[in-house]
Amino acid sequence: MTAPAATAAAAALAARGVSVRYGRHQVLSGVDFAVPAGTTTGLAGPSGCGKSTLAAVLALLLRPHAGTVTVDGRTTPGFRYRAPRELRTRVAIVFQQPRMAVDPRLRLRDLITEPLRATGRSAGAGAALDRLADLVGLTTELLGRFPHEVSDGQLQRACVARALVLGPRYLVCDEMTTMLDASTQALLVHAVRAYQRDSGAGVLAVSHDPVLLDRWCDEVRNWEQVAGPRRR
Amino acid sequence: MAERAAPWTEPAAPPAEPAAPSTEPAALLPWRPARRGRGPAPRAGRRRRWGVVAAAVLLGLLTAAALAVPLLDPTDQRLVELAAANRPPSWAHPLGTDELGRDLLLRSLYGLRVSLAVGVAAAVVATVLGGLVGLVAGVAGGWVDWLLMRLIDGMGALPHLLAGIFIVALFSPGVGAVVVSIGVTHWLSTARIVRSEVLSLRGRTFVDAAISGGAGRWRVLRRHLLPGVAPHLALAAVLMVPHAIWHESALSFLGLGLPPHLASLGNMINDGRRTLFAGVWWPSLVPGLFIIAPTLAVSVLSLWGRDRLNPRRRTELQL
Amino acid sequence: MTASDGPGGVAAFGGASAGAGPSLAVERMSVRFRLPRETVHAVTDVSFTLRAGECLALVGESGCGKSVLAAGLLGLLPGNAELRGRALLDEVDLLAAPERVLARRIRGRRVGLVTQSPAAHLTPVRTARAHLEEAVTELGTARGDPRAAADRYAARAGLRPADLRRYPHQLSGGLAQRVSTALALAGDPWLLLADEPTTGLDRALVSHTMAELGRLRDAGHGVLLITHDLAAARAVADRVAVMYAGRLVEITAAGEFFAAPGAGGPAHPYAAALLDALPDRGFTPLPGFPPELTRLPDGCAFAPRCARADAACAITPPPVVRGGRLLACHHPEGRA
Repeated sequence: MTAPAATAAAAALAARGVSVRYGRHQVLSGVDFAVPAGTTTGLAGPSGCGKSTLAAVLALLLRPHAGTVTVDGRTTPGFRYRAPRELRTRVAIVFQQPRMAVDPRLRLRDLITEPLRATGRSAGAGAALDRLADLVGLTTELLGRFPHEVSDGQLQRACVARALVLGPRYLVCDEMTTMLDASTQALLVHAVRAYQRDSGAGVLAVSHDPVLLDRWCDEVRNWEQVAGPRRR
Repeated sequence: MAERAAPWTEPAAPPAEPAAPSTEPAALLPWRPARRGRGPAPRAGRRRRWGVVAAAVLLGLLTAAALAVPLLDPTDQRLVELAAANRPPSWAHPLGTDELGRDLLLRSLYGLRVSLAVGVAAAVVATVLGGLVGLVAGVAGGWVDWLLMRLIDGMGALPHLLAGIFIVALFSPGVGAVVVSIGVTHWLSTARIVRSEVLSLRGRTFVDAAISGGAGRWRVLRRHLLPGVAPHLALAAVLMVPHAIWHESALSFLGLGLPPHLASLGNMINDGRRTLFAGVWWPSLVPGLFIIAPTLAVSVLSLWGRDRLNPRRRTELQL
Repeated sequence: MTASDGPGGVAAFGGASAGAGPSLAVERMSVRFRLPRETVHAVTDVSFTLRAGECLALVGESGCGKSVLAAGLLGLLPGNAELRGRALLDEVDLLAAPERVLARRIRGRRVGLVTQSPAAHLTPVRTARAHLEEAVTELGTARGDPRAAADRYAARAGLRPADLRRYPHQLSGGLAQRVSTALALAGDPWLLLADEPTTGLDRALVSHTMAELGRLRDAGHGVLLITHDLAAARAVADRVAVMYAGRLVEITAAGEFFAAPGAGGPAHPYAAALLDALPDRGFTPLPGFPPELTRLPDGCAFAPRCARADAACAITPPPVVRGGRLLACHHPEGRA
């Protein structure tokens, strides 16, 4: 499928009619949600309601039982390994728990540059690492450490850097700062905002904290509006 | 408890800080240990694990001796000296002699060589087989996983010595048959361990992160899953060796293992049976000890190895 | 719920100095860990008091020593830890008392621990009711009827009897928190130690949990709230104690601490910076990282990150000023 010219309407990461079921429990049912490029969209709602599921679908990591996901107008033929690499790398994701999201055998600097090696672009790794480490406030000494030698806050900074290393067009932050203290939260939000401004990317911020979303996002959508009232 | 007397009183205003209790520099106050009367302190700092060190030394010595014995042995193992038969331990023969007059210490070391060789070969076969099956089951999932697990369950229900005997009977007896027999019956636990490790690794979001970062199936397998599984495989292989040695000894004892002219520990124990009731106990006991010693050493080392593999690699501070 | 009991329902305690009520007086408490190659100074020279009927919030970044302090007070430190100082809970010095005394008379009976993520602290194969009944039986508050006692404490924590029938994995975040509170209350302790009770909870749940703690404080309990979440502390604290790199740098009345910028606020630059990082304030992160607890400087530990620091700050330890509030700083923020 050739990529159509990115018109204003098509420049978005969009889920249409997405339904996800875990066993008999219907988590998402016919959900439409679009993350436009160039802005930060917030998704607010209590934990356990399905926001993370929607985030995983948008990041092309979870196959829905129904519905499609479109990246800049191009519908993905599949999810996870079946999504074309070109689409997968356009959408990056930062998870809530940094400890689960990293390979414990890699040093932080290898962690951050791993996507470059995976996509055959390791040539610019050094420069990219310097730039990103600056952005998230990681020193050279910390970059040389292993995940079990750094705190959660420092590890999450590395995860944000890793998400940004390929220059994604869309960034999904799934409760990115929930486990962090206020200072690290502020720093990472500023880092993401700076990246968003410089690159024109679209950011989806998923969180249960309305105060944070208010301060961070250009527009905040409520889970109730998105998914409809909760059915028991 | 008994001290409850006066009711609580509400404070009228936010309480003031206490008058500075002592103005002397903090350095003059004494330090006390935190645990009082709670039993021995657990792992205070790096405790020397003497058991592990001893086990490693023992294993090292045995292996070195077994490897070096052909070079160091002054005698000719084929020589039979009936006049010196069935001698109890003495200075000339530290562990005694067997019914053909051969020195038991040397013979046991030769036996250990054979047993080690067979054991290591069998362990490698079992580990590779088990690792492959576990990996495929963990990665493929679905009906492949289900089928393989039922296969493991089924084979696990068979007594493996019996199955081993059966397999040896299918081939002509010899070293090859014994290795295959042990390998084919011992891959099950390795497969389970590998599968469970793979499943646990796949469930962590770092695989998702790798996929999002552009990694393909093979890369995830090669760079993330296999390195996580490799230490478990190595440990499983090492653990398998004494079990393989035992298995080979059992087969040889039953006369189904290695041919009698090959001095394996199992053969020696079998040979020693003949003189047991005549009061000559050492020809059976000595090779037995040479089976027990490395098994014990490997068991102790495996406990230490499992400890190190535990992903609880944080400092003691995290409460 | 809690108010209906009144002071008589919540067990009555005698204080060391009769008439002043029960209190916790920590004096120059220090904790260090001896590791093979280095020593970790987790807590250094901490002093504060807490009385029944007030809530003291102990705040600081992760790794600043707050949890070690809590563990030290309860006698739960590992074998390589060493203590200094005193912590007088009424007449008992928690830091010197033998394990026998701590186990039989202090834990659960005078100090109740409200934990974070109770699901991790409960046996997965037993119901909440089983836990609660065991607690009241062990702690002697069952008065012959464990079931009724369990119901009573559950009610005080805002739980219905039906809620207790669940297993730990069936408890939602809010219910789990209330079960933790009920277990803490089971021995009728006057002091409640809440160690990061809001980690991973929604904003709504955080407010709710803080309201619960506030109710317990109003009913006469003393609450020591340990948290890195300033917004949570604001909802319930009477006083705020700020910890940095193992030391207390400021203790201030909550009203003063959380006052709008310009009308008050903390005096210590670190505390002010912590507040300023909140999304409903400046949303400004602090530069750099806290120092490693194995390599603490001679001077002020915050100096490398402090906008107001000068050369003297890094060399000489900051003066500690007491009387009404505590402050350890060479250049405190000016105040109106």
